[in-house]
Amino acid sequence: MAFLEIKDVIKDFGGLVANSNVSFQIEEGEIIGLIGPNGAGKTTLFNCIVGYYSPDSGKVLYKGNNITGLKPFQTNQAGIGRTFQIMKVTTGMTVVENVMVGAFCRTDSRHQAREEAFEILRFLGMEGMGEQYINELPIAMQRKVGMARALATKPQLLMLDEVASGLNHTETDEMVVLLKRLNTEKNITLFLIEHIMEMVMAVSQRVIVLDGGIKIAEGLPQDIVKNENVIKAYLGEKYAKSH
Amino acid sequence: MEKLKDALDFSDFSSAERIGLIIFSIFLLVFPWLGAGSFVKAVMIQFLLFSLFGMGWNTIGGYGGQVELGKAQYVGIGAYTVALLMVWWGIPFWISMPIGVLIAIGYSFIIGYPLFRLKGHYFCIATICTSLVLQDIFTNWKLVGAAKGIELPIHEHPDFLYMQFKSDNYYYYFIMVLFYCALFYMNWFRKSKLGYQLRMIKDDDEAAESLGIDIRWCKIKAYSIASAFVAVGGGFMAVYNLYIDPVSVMDLDLSIKIALMAMLGGAGSLWGPIIGAAFLVPLDRFLGSWLGGHKGLIGVDFMIYAALIMVVSAYQPRGIWGIIEQFRGKGK
Repeated sequence: MAFLEIKDVIKDFGGLVANSNVSFQIEEGEIIGLIGPNGAGKTTLFNCIVGYYSPDSGKVLYKGNNITGLKPFQTNQAGIGRTFQIMKVTTGMTVVENVMVGAFCRTDSRHQAREEAFEILRFLGMEGMGEQYINELPIAMQRKVGMARALATKPQLLMLDEVASGLNHTETDEMVVLLKRLNTEKNITLFLIEHIMEMVMAVSQRVIVLDGGIKIAEGLPQDIVKNENVIKAYLGEKYAKSH
Repeated sequence: MEKLKDALDFSDFSSAERIGLIIFSIFLLVFPWLGAGSFVKAVMIQFLLFSLFGMGWNTIGGYGGQVELGKAQYVGIGAYTVALLMVWWGIPFWISMPIGVLIAIGYSFIIGYPLFRLKGHYFCIATICTSLVLQDIFTNWKLVGAAKGIELPIHEHPDFLYMQFKSDNYYYYFIMVLFYCALFYMNWFRKSKLGYQLRMIKDDDEAAESLGIDIRWCKIKAYSIASAFVAVGGGFMAVYNLYIDPVSVMDLDLSIKIALMAMLGGAGSLWGPIIGAAFLVPLDRFLGSWLGGHKGLIGVDFMIYAALIMVVSAYQPRGIWGIIEQFRGKGK
């Protein structure tokens, strides 16, 4: 039994097929990268798994349970956390309050939620930022807040949507370290959409490639960069040659 | 116990706010002995009543960010339950008021369930409609007095069972106690799980959903709490005025006033509805009595009233409390 199993998922936005018969499996404890050019259907696939969209056909199985068509709050309660590509920059709540909302998913006590929130902020190296508002933080930190509050819901599977976009080189390296720590120390299975190839190659144990809504390749990072279909669709000759 | 502690704990406010609350509380306590006339006393009672309404509205409207303009129907439910149960079966206030609140909660679930399929403007319009429909039903329903309304039978004064008094002082202290119950409840509410979840929904509902929050259920719960609050106020209105009709307790005007006061004061903050009521209730009353009576000046009070609201909301969407926080350099 796979940890997460996607079976023939189809999502059709009135003629625009965003996902077409996508199937793959993720095992517990893996770090999987999902790549593909713009408009390949990566975020749509995420939304189909988490429940923002209901697939037109196909199945999503999580730990053997059919979670197809469940609402996002239900999949979250089942143990799937996600972050968003774009963080809404709001001024209503401080960073720690944002993370506390995540923690409230598993507890009713405010004190416990607050403790857990600070613990997660410490883990992410954001101790001093608890009382700041999201709009006061740089973009890299805003995304980390998104990660922190998803982590606070204690997910077993964390789905990260372009968590490293807009980061500079050092920040990307730090993110790679952080993701590996999440995987090993907290035993969280990671499934990430990423544009930055260096990062995908550095962090993923396996890579799935989407193009035009179709899965065109799946395999080890070093094989993916040599895969002809992938080179054509996404990486370009230049990148393939240089590696 | 932790809940009670949270309700009575104001320590996360600045010392200026806490001192302000203490001075304000002392003022409320001694107010009836300051020699104010009956008109001023009536204004104070109105102020406390509308603070209570506003605090209730603040759960769904302020913390939850849902512009709700149908609270009058729950004022009506609270008021009519108290009045009718007394007229029909002589049931005392202390029994009929909780019944009214329970009916309001039940009704709010029935109304809230379909209502919260809607978002934004559509939700707002729907709340107005449901309230208007109920008002129309009561206006035409002979059994409940139709448009003529209901007069409550007068009892010997003072009657604590039916809450009927000659002196306004009794009513004043009674509504003051209700006001403090509401204030402490709201102080707990803003720190509760539901309070946090609602603020998240207001900020970013997509993200809220991804954090295990059942948005619709949260909104329904907050809507019911708000309804319970205003139903208590409605019950008070019945015994205070001793006469209710669909216009006095169910009008759209009342719904708008409730929302307006909370929004003008500062929706989503503990003090906002109180400040809004402290500002608008006297303004409404005094302007009305000073200007409304003069020939040729009829309607001028409404113009001033409206202009002030526009000025404040144009300057700071978070209301008067937002302006105060801006000056203190807090919150952006």
